Amino acid sequence: MEKTDYLIIGNSAAGINAAEAIREQDGRGKVIILTEESYLNYSKPLITYYLAGKIPIEQTGWQQGDFYSRLDIDIRLNTKIVHLDVEQKKAISASGDKFGFQKALIATGGSPIIPAIEVDGGKKLDKKLINRAENIFTLTTLEDARKLKAYIEKNGVEKATILGGGLIGLKAAEAFLELGLRIELIELSDRILSATFDKQASSIVEERIRDLNSNIFTQNTIEKIYMEGNRITKAQLTDGSNIDCQVLVVAVGVAPEVPFVDSGALDTDRGIKVNQFMETSAPEIFAAGDVVQARDILAGEDRNIAIWPLAVMQGKTAGLNMAGSHYAYGGGFFMNSVEILGVSSISMGLTSLEPDDSRKVEVLSQFKPESNYYKKIIIRENKVVGAILVGAIERAGIYAGLIKNGIDVSNIRDNIISENFGLIQLPADYQKHLVVGEGIEV
Amino acid sequence: MKKIYIQEEYCIGCRLCEIYCQVKHSKSKKIIKAFKSEQGQLMPRVLVEEIGHNSFAIQCRHCVDAPCVDACISGAMKKNISTGVVTCDQDKCVGCWSCIMVCPYGAISKDPGERKIASKCDLCEDEEIPVCVSNCPNEALKFMDMEDK
Ligand SMILES: Cc1cc2nc3c(=O)[nH]c(=O)nc-3n(C[C@H](O)[C@H](O)[C@H](O)COP(=O)(O)OP(=O)(O)OC[C@H]3O[C@@H](n4cnc5c(N)ncnc54)[C@H](O)[C@@H]3O)c2cc1C
Ligand code: SF4
Ligand code: SF4
Repeated sequence: MEKTDYLIIGNSAAGINAAEAIREQDGRGKVIILTEESYLNYSKPLITYYLAGKIPIEQTGWQQGDFYSRLDIDIRLNTKIVHLDVEQKKAISASGDKFGFQKALIATGGSPIIPAIEVDGGKKLDKKLINRAENIFTLTTLEDARKLKAYIEKNGVEKATILGGGLIGLKAAEAFLELGLRIELIELSDRILSATFDKQASSIVEERIRDLNSNIFTQNTIEKIYMEGNRITKAQLTDGSNIDCQVLVVAVGVAPEVPFVDSGALDTDRGIKVNQFMETSAPEIFAAGDVVQARDILAGEDRNIAIWPLAVMQGKTAGLNMAGSHYAYGGGFFMNSVEILGVSSISMGLTSLEPDDSRKVEVLSQFKPESNYYKKIIIRENKVVGAILVGAIERAGIYAGLIKNGIDVSNIRDNIISENFGLIQLPADYQKHLVVGEGIEV
Repeated sequence: MKKIYIQEEYCIGCRLCEIYCQVKHSKSKKIIKAFKSEQGQLMPRVLVEEIGHNSFAIQCRHCVDAPCVDACISGAMKKNISTGVVTCDQDKCVGCWSCIMVCPYGAISKDPGERKIASKCDLCEDEEIPVCVSNCPNEALKFMDMEDK
């Protein structure tokens, strides 16, 4: 059995940042990163940019090729962990390799959720069937994107059907529209990007999509699909309508699954539970990224928030603590940036709260239909808890700073929605902190 | 590291820093050319904010724990470990605006040129002193190490 000081399972945002943080603290300990995939390193959010033809496949790599050698990190591709024994502290790969470790990090992200859909002939849609089908795809890995792109090019696909209007569904939509394809997007809730969009923001983007000869079906889902051989030909929606399918992308979300850990070996809920140091319930086993349920500073409880910036921060936190530091994760909240053919949008935090005197919720908004401009700020107990910006996203991060730092905005309420809101309108103390300070502790 | 410090009490809102920044990052590096023929493709990377007599010039703070670097999905936004300067590699940037979403200073803009890329202060790495600092007539911007303050 091979032995290592640090075993990192997962070679992406969380895993790579953890390794880098470990090296900052510990120049000598042996670090192994494992991935089940065959690509050296690539950024998941970039796979739709590759799909859209905006970047070549090589540019999906986000760390330089010499990253591993420079930091003396042992990287093992094509190594899928099938069992992690948290008590014996060893991991076993699909090909039978064993890794003993002092400390391990689970940074395996999420796997695509496959909703219950009937397949004509009596079966149910599942991962196996998707793998076998020529024109049904999930879209969470570079390999998924590569296959999808090849299929589209080879078969001259003109229209794509996307199931799911969340982050991945919209990123897919962005790519398809960019490629000049028409899309049909099917979303269960009453609006797209329901995690952070309200009806108004959603309708601006929906309209843009409809302008492009494409369609969106909300409050709807696919009930049944029809196949001819290994190809999907048609989908039947809940409202009874039928749509022809040239390709189907299943993008209803990702779930933090850890099939390689015995059930009960780690505390889990919606993801692996971790404390603020990214430690799991088992000693010396850490977890970070899309696979965990960690602090949401707005919900006041732990939640699974599967976004890149948080995976990076959690990975760093885990790495520092694995190497012996005592560094706490500050928590995060959901945020997202999408651009559908020229209409950009950024949304963050709790955006679906309604005005409510007793809960001290105020909602300020401004909408200019002629320029697709929309801005909405949600304030709860005098603090910003959510923001939506459509059409003009400049300086959106100032709102993220206000949310993260829990700044009382009661004195600047009248300005907060203004189009040219900037640091100068901020409460005096916070402004001073930003302007005169060094730019660190924000 | 040496950083730009803002002395807002001396800022009179003349916006010379913006002008010099814009010229410095122009193709021609010539003020008239930059303003006449490159207009529309240029934007200063320092922003003077002003209300009444209150004003200050703000550019990237080159944060120690830079949120923009953590948020960048392409590896374009990087902090140079030896100099501390945070820069955006324009060849890698894909214009996803994740960095704009998280910079608490609002110090990143969309580059007004043809490509969708982020634009921010690079501390004029090839100059001894960033041009906004060296051209401020009132020392409202200072370039120094915190220790010397
Ligand atoms: C198409 C798409 C677009 C996105 N766009 C954005 C965006 O614009 N902004 C944003 O903030 N977020 C976006 N996200 C989400 C973002 O990609 C994730 O939050 C982030 O990648 C999570 O990083 P992670 O390290 O936790 O896990 P992942 O990136 O999921 O990586 C998991 C790693 O674990 C490995 N692994 C998994 N299981 C095993 C195993 N059993 N054995 C060995 N290795 C294993 C995988 O090979 C991989 O290396 C997007 C996601 C997708 C799919
Ligand atoms: S761009 Fe903003 S977040 Fe990034 S280093 Fe500069 S001030 Fe900090
Ligand atoms: S806009 Fe460019 S620099 Fe900013 S986060 Fe996206 S890829 Fe990185």
